Amino acid sequence: MAESTILLIVATIVNALVLSSMYILLALGFTFLFNIMGILNFAHGVIYMIGAYICFYMATVVGINQWLALLISVAVVGLFGIFMERFIFRPFFGNINSIIVVCIGLITVLVNAVAISQPYNVQVTPAFVQGILKVGIVSLSWQRIVFFLIGVSLLILVLLFINKTKQGLQMRAVAQDLEGAILQGINVHFVSALACVIACALAATAGSLMGSYLSLTPYMGNDIMIKVLEILVLGGIGSINGVLFAGLIVGTLDAVLPIWLSGTATQAIMMLIIIVILLFKPQGLFGKEVRA
Amino acid sequence: MGSMIAARDSSSRRKNYTQIILYGILICFLLFIPLFFQSPYVLHLFILTLVYIIAAASMRFIMTSGQIPLAHAAFLGLGAYVSAVLSKHVGLSPWLSLFIAAFVAMGVGIFISFPFARLKAFYYAMVSLFFGVGLLQAIESLGKLTGGLAGITAIPTLFNTASKVPYYYCFLALTLVSLVILYRFEVSRIGWNLKAIDQSYLVSSSVGISEVKYRVLAVAIGCFFVGLAGGMYANYNVTLSPSSFDSSVTLWMIIYVTIGGMNNFSGPIIGTAVLFLIPQYFSGLKQYAPFISAAILFLVIFMFRNGLVSIPGLLMAFYKRKKSTSKSR
Repeated sequence: MAESTILLIVATIVNALVLSSMYILLALGFTFLFNIMGILNFAHGVIYMIGAYICFYMATVVGINQWLALLISVAVVGLFGIFMERFIFRPFFGNINSIIVVCIGLITVLVNAVAISQPYNVQVTPAFVQGILKVGIVSLSWQRIVFFLIGVSLLILVLLFINKTKQGLQMRAVAQDLEGAILQGINVHFVSALACVIACALAATAGSLMGSYLSLTPYMGNDIMIKVLEILVLGGIGSINGVLFAGLIVGTLDAVLPIWLSGTATQAIMMLIIIVILLFKPQGLFGKEVRA
Repeated sequence: MGSMIAARDSSSRRKNYTQIILYGILICFLLFIPLFFQSPYVLHLFILTLVYIIAAASMRFIMTSGQIPLAHAAFLGLGAYVSAVLSKHVGLSPWLSLFIAAFVAMGVGIFISFPFARLKAFYYAMVSLFFGVGLLQAIESLGKLTGGLAGITAIPTLFNTASKVPYYYCFLALTLVSLVILYRFEVSRIGWNLKAIDQSYLVSSSVGISEVKYRVLAVAIGCFFVGLAGGMYANYNVTLSPSSFDSSVTLWMIIYVTIGGMNNFSGPIIGTAVLFLIPQYFSGLKQYAPFISAAILFLVIFMFRNGLVSIPGLLMAFYKRKKSTSKSR
């Protein structure tokens, strides 16, 4: 095999893994919100964008260490999650049309605020990790490997949290049966707020990392939101295993297809693949019966 | 969505004279708008409002059947591009291509909604969103015909004048006819069947309403009118670009419907008029103008849960309560 082919294959695999782990972080938060509060948070992409910009601002304008900036971004956006739960989602529990309206309002405000305050269109957060790993002829940047490891370890932490702790048990109970959970004395509002904080923190982490991996624009949330929706629908809305599996599929397609196709064609082909899969499995790959 | 009971009450109510007089005054006012507002820009805004009113009303018609058509702006784009390509490259009369565009949009709508009728609730919404994005990408990638990302220019227009007044009257007539047809559909047996499917598809199919048939019918009717609106837009606006039909436009159309009031036929009309025209008044604020739209959204959604059409009802209820409390004292 030619040397360039090997390089291409390795680079594609690493790209696929990084993209998949970031997509999964976002989609997992979205799934939490859907399971526990029955809402589709269309503003999730904007939360991701805000997280990226806070990290960028802290790292460049304030000039502190990137990792500290990441932590600050996660903390600020997590607090914003509590605010969102109380004032934006709780009044519209399960009302999809109103949720869309509120989310669009939020998106309009946040995107335009960022676009006005950041007049330069494309910016990049400074690299989190420098240096290159060399194995034989293959060279990879450490940053990608570290991002992948962060993504995987956060995923494992979240899954452990859901499956092993008391709060995780409460979350699963609320997701399974809201009224039953209330009867058992579970504080539903606390559980919702916790889910919201986790979802927002995961989105902020993904955003901060991607701000260094790709670039920052005020509109970066829109494209990633489409990806998250693809993952959710493909995996079956509300299924965590589905998110992991579909995230890998979408991330891989996203890394592999651009080798042969242009950007718009990639999008169209991915939509086609997902629509065809859904026509044969209307509830997604791991989905259960929809609660309508 | 859920309860459509409010719509039933208002539509089965006997039409009294005050209502007819009010409609008459409204239509007279609309007829005199070109005399009040001489500026071509204001007239342009009113013309676009009429186009979006057809789009939003047809979207609400599909939504009464419990389907959220997130591909609707892409269908608007499909109609616009079909009409533009037919009248520019094929050389058909714009009047003919307008209606061909409507039928093409209806055909594509029927074609996709047979397989999509298997999907319920969120899955339908998401898959139609993906279909819309894909459709737009397909239009974009046909660069020779549609001009790609840069768009298509120099589309033949409906009238040979620079004045916008004939367009206004023509579009007003088309909008009124479309709205009357949509209203007749809604209060007919088809409309009731669609609402029954929304409330429970199991119960409605058990009493003999074919779920697939009526869902396809709803999409067909909705797509016909949105295709018509697209054709009107193309042959009025002379230029088209794919960015005017992307998924954010669909979400704005949902907002027009929800802010106006989902449960009432006049909801999308009022919602479009308010949300399209009021932010334009503040367009002097330049990049701060979107905040006005967002403020309207938050204000309406937090204060009037059922949309702007619920305001008169709320006022009446408030007035009655005040009267009864003052009597009891």
